Amino acid sequence: MIDSLIISLQLALTTTVLLLLIGLPLAYVLAFVSFRGRTVLEVFVALPLVLPPTVLGYYVLLMIAPDSWFGSAWDSVFDSSLAFSFSGMVLASLLYSLPFAVQPMQQAFRAVPTSWLELGQTRGMNVRQMLRYIILPASKSGVLVAAALSFAHTMGEFGVVLMVGGSIPGETKVASIALFEFVEMQQQTEAAQLALILLFVSFVMLSVVYSINRKPLVVSS
Amino acid sequence: MNSVCIIATLGSLNLDVQAEFNDEIIVISGENGAGKTTFLRCLAGLEDCQGEMHIKGDIWLDSAAKFVKPTEQRSIGFVWSDAVLLPWLDVQANIALGVNDADATWLLKVCEALEIDSLLKRKPIMLSTGEAQRVSLARAVYIKPALLLLDEPFSAQAPDIRLRLRKALKDLQQELNIPMFMVSHDAGDAKVLAKQHWRMREGKLIVEVQTKAQDKVINDE
Repeated sequence: MIDSLIISLQLALTTTVLLLLIGLPLAYVLAFVSFRGRTVLEVFVALPLVLPPTVLGYYVLLMIAPDSWFGSAWDSVFDSSLAFSFSGMVLASLLYSLPFAVQPMQQAFRAVPTSWLELGQTRGMNVRQMLRYIILPASKSGVLVAAALSFAHTMGEFGVVLMVGGSIPGETKVASIALFEFVEMQQQTEAAQLALILLFVSFVMLSVVYSINRKPLVVSS
Repeated sequence: MNSVCIIATLGSLNLDVQAEFNDEIIVISGENGAGKTTFLRCLAGLEDCQGEMHIKGDIWLDSAAKFVKPTEQRSIGFVWSDAVLLPWLDVQANIALGVNDADATWLLKVCEALEIDSLLKRKPIMLSTGEAQRVSLARAVYIKPALLLLDEPFSAQAPDIRLRLRKALKDLQQELNIPMFMVSHDAGDAKVLAKQHWRMREGKLIVEVQTKAQDKVINDE
């Protein structure tokens, strides 16, 4: 049981960190840049919200299969297969939780007052400086919400990680799958403990999100 | 000699201004919606416009050659009609925003002149409206810009300090030796500060009053 919890936590943490890095430029582009295909990109980011996780898992499996171009490229670079591995699960989780990272940041970026952005322009700032000195400090709560939601949502994955990871004990069996197997094997005590832990983690993460959202956009010390 | 020749259409406003000016103070007055703020924003590159701009021997706009210098490269001190201070930074950090090599002597000089030297460690939320307005003025002056653009910079100042601020601002402008546009509805500002006093109506420059000189019609309807 501890094994599966540790794998879940590792997966959620890795996914959250990577998603903040990937989600930031995506959120910036969606918030500030107008270009052809913007809507398509926005739809792609939002798709995991409505897709059955098994559909996402199916396509990820196709993508990382050893005979696909991506799978074979990965294989030749890292000398290991993505299918039924921790890395494969991270890849699937990145896609699955993408909207939970991008959308809060995108909304926070859009809420930055235009005059603050103009101020940055008159101070000679480039995009990187603008992000660092104006947009990110102004969007602190949005970034925190993105992190908390990505983490909680990844902890709660089931279908995607089952299809891509394959529930290998000690490697890809995460807590939500372990719970399912405890119930299947009628190990009620373990099932109850694990369920309670997962409930507690989700409760804490959502409490963080709601307490952040209750405060004004900018918190001054 | 600096010169501008700007044509811009924004909503119902048709801005059409041609003028030449030295490195002097020009006060602009006129009714609401006459295009005063839009004119400042065009000079700053914050609105799209056609025409030519030559400021301090530098070309900022040359539509014939399809050249527009972006705001980031224009070296502008802009004061918005509200203070636009970043709430998470203290006064000193707001003034020095985006400046890499701080000049403590100059900063103190500007702040003493504008009577905010005792507020440097305060957060904007702890400032009165008038104080915040003076901080935003100090921020614009601090970068030693090539052009100062001030949109009603004294609107929140009490009468007695306003008198002192006029002198302080004039001294700073002379030290920097740059052109400065100031939108103001206060006849006193024009009388004390301005080398030229412009009136705008419906996007056009109606009369250019040379202070202590006769009116000169330069662009009649």
